[in-house]
Amino acid sequence: MLITDGSAPFQEAFRHRLAAADQPDWLRAQRRAGMEGFTAMGFPSRRHEAWRFTDLDLLTSEPRPPSLTDAPSLPADSLEPWRLAGPSHRLVLVNGRFDPALSAIGGLPAGVWLAPLAETVQRRPDVAATAFGADVNALSALNAALFADGAVLVLAPGTVLETPVEIIHYSTTGDAQASAHPRLRVMLGEGAGATLVETAAGDGNGWTNAVIDVTLDADAELIHVHVQNEGTEAVHTCLLTAELARQARYRAFTLVTGACLSHRDMQVALAGPGAAFTLHGAYLLDGGQETTLAVRADHKAPDCRTEEVVKGVLQGAAHGVFLGTVAVRPGADGTDARQLNRNLLLSPSARVDTKPELEIFADDVKCSHGATVGSLDEAALFYLQARGIDPVTARSMLVAAFAADVIDAARLTDGVDALLRRHLDRWLGREGGLS
Amino acid sequence: MTNILEIRGLRACITGGREVLKGIDLTVAPGEVHAIMGPNGAGKSTLSSVLAGKPGYEVTAGSVFYKGVDLLSMPPDARAREGLFLAFQYPVEIPGVNNMYFLRAALNAGRRQRGQPELDAQQFLKAVREKLKLLDIGDDLLRRAVNVGFSGGEKKRNEIFQMAMLEPNLALLDETDSGLDIDALRVVSDGVNRLRDPGRAIIMVTHYQRLLDYVVPDHVHVLADGRIVASGDRHFAVELEQTGYAHLCDAA
Repeated sequence: MLITDGSAPFQEAFRHRLAAADQPDWLRAQRRAGMEGFTAMGFPSRRHEAWRFTDLDLLTSEPRPPSLTDAPSLPADSLEPWRLAGPSHRLVLVNGRFDPALSAIGGLPAGVWLAPLAETVQRRPDVAATAFGADVNALSALNAALFADGAVLVLAPGTVLETPVEIIHYSTTGDAQASAHPRLRVMLGEGAGATLVETAAGDGNGWTNAVIDVTLDADAELIHVHVQNEGTEAVHTCLLTAELARQARYRAFTLVTGACLSHRDMQVALAGPGAAFTLHGAYLLDGGQETTLAVRADHKAPDCRTEEVVKGVLQGAAHGVFLGTVAVRPGADGTDARQLNRNLLLSPSARVDTKPELEIFADDVKCSHGATVGSLDEAALFYLQARGIDPVTARSMLVAAFAADVIDAARLTDGVDALLRRHLDRWLGREGGLS
Repeated sequence: MTNILEIRGLRACITGGREVLKGIDLTVAPGEVHAIMGPNGAGKSTLSSVLAGKPGYEVTAGSVFYKGVDLLSMPPDARAREGLFLAFQYPVEIPGVNNMYFLRAALNAGRRQRGQPELDAQQFLKAVREKLKLLDIGDDLLRRAVNVGFSGGEKKRNEIFQMAMLEPNLALLDETDSGLDIDALRVVSDGVNRLRDPGRAIIMVTHYQRLLDYVVPDHVHVLADGRIVASGDRHFAVELEQTGYAHLCDAA
C-alpha cells in the first residue's frame, strides 16, 4: 500500500485553523504537533494491524479537507429520528461545529461540566488541555490539527448524573465531500456516574474523523452508547481511548448501521485493580458497506474484567471486520476476559473477517474468545413459514432476534434500550426486501 | 362436497437423491381422520414434508389438490394461510422469538388471507386463554422463546396448541406421539379429539398403534416403500398390531 504525503490536501485548512483568533498558544502548539504527526505517519495502511482488512481506498482516494465555511442551518426536526425519547442534556455538532439552536444542554447539577470544546478552551483551559496529547495514531493527530469543536463532559467526584447526556454529530455536506474532526473528552471523578449516548448521523458523503478520550477515576461508572448511522456514502473513523482506574466500570455499546466505510478503534486500558469493561454491540450492513471494529482491552492491573459480545448482520456485498485483542500484562493476575463475535451472513457475497486474540503475560487468568459465522437457520425459517408467516417477515423476525439478543444482554435503561431497538427496527424495515 | 385433499400418483424424491414416494393415491374428505402407518423409511415423513412444502424435496410426477386447488404450486406459507397445518415431528427451537409474538403473527397472517380483521393484543390473549385449557399448558410456556428449553412433551403440546389456535382445515400430525409418555400422550390425544370437526380433516402419521387407541381414525393406510399398500377402517390398525407390516411390505 503506498503512503504518500497525505497532508497536502489539509494544509490550507490547517493554516486557516492556526490563524483563527481567540485560541491560546498551547492549542496552536497542539495543532502544529498534530499536523507534524499526521505528515510523518500518513494515512493508515494495511500494514497497521487495526486496518489490515479495511478497504482504505475509500478513505484515501478522495481528499476531504474540512469545509471552512459555516455549516448550513438545519430544520429543527432534522434530528428527530436519532434523538432519545425523554429528557437529556443534548449537545449537537453539525459538521464538527457546535450548533446552539439544535442543542439543549439545559440546567446541569453541581459538579457537572458539559460544554462544547471551544467554549471549554476559553472558560476551563485546564480541562480543555486534557483533551490533547494522547494522539496515538495518524487520524487522531489530524483531528488535533483540524478540529473546529467538540464536547467536554466532566463530573466531579461523587456526582451521579441521572439524565443521560446526548451528543449528536450530524454531517451534511451537500455536493462537496468534506471532513469534520469532532473531539470529545469525558472525565468522571471518583465514584461519579453518567450515561452518554453519542450518535453520528447525517445525510452527507463526507468524512467524520472523531476522537474521544475517556478517563474514569476509581469506582466511576460510564455507560457509553455509540450509534453510527451516517449516510451510506459517508466515511466515519473514530479513535476511542479509555483509561479505567480501580473498580471503575466502563459499559460500552456500539451500533453501526451507516457509512460506506467506517472504522472504530477502541483502546481501553484497565489500569486499576478490579476495573471492568463491557462492550456489547452490533453492526448491521448492506450493499457495499464496510465496517471495522478494532478493540484492544489492555489489562494492566489485577482482577479486572472484560466482556465483549459483538454481533454482525451482513447482507448484499457488505463486509464486517472484528479485531479484538485482550492483552494481559505481567502482574495482571485474576484477569477474567471473554470475547465473542457472532456473524450472520444473509447473502453469498457478504463477507466477514473476525479475529479475537489473546496476548497473555500473566499466570492466573481466565480468558476465552470465540467467533462464529453462519447463515439463517433454514429449519427455523421453514417452521415460521409453515405457520403462515411470509418469508420476508420470517427472515426479519430471525434477524431481529439475533441482533436484539445483544441489546437485551447490555441491560440498558429503558430510554436508551428503546433508542437502540428503534434503530434496529428501522434497519429491518428499510430492508423490506431481505433476501 | 369438495374433498379436502386429493393425491393422485404422487412421486417425489429427495432433491438430488433417491425417490421416496413412488405413486401415492389418497383422498381425504372433510371431517375424516386418516392414519398413515408403516415401517421406518417407508416415506411417511416425506409425505408430510411434501404436502407442507418443506424445501429439499422434488415432486417428479402426480398431483395434489387441496380444497380443489393445486397445492404444489403454492409456497409453504400460502399453504399454511389456506388452512394446512403440519404438526412437526421435531418442533424447531427459535431463540429470541417470543412464542406469543410468533403465534399472533401466524394467526393474523391467516386472518388477513381470509379477509378477517386482525386480532389485537387483548383479543389474542383472550383466544389464547381459551385454548390453553384444552392442552393443560401453563402461561409461562408462552412467555418463552418458541420451543426453546421446552421438554419433548411440551414441544408436542405446543404444536397441538398452535393447531387449536390456527384452526386449520387439514392437519398433518407427523409422529406427534413419538417421545411422549403415557400421560402426555393422553393430553395431546384429548386435544386432538376436541379439534375433530365436520369441517376439518386430520392425517396422523404414526409408527405405533398406541396413538390410535386414543384418537380413533376413520381410515388406516399402510405406507411401504413409497406406496400405500393396504387400507382399511379403524379395526385395521388393531389387526396390523398383531400381524406387523412385513407381509404387506413383501407384497409391495
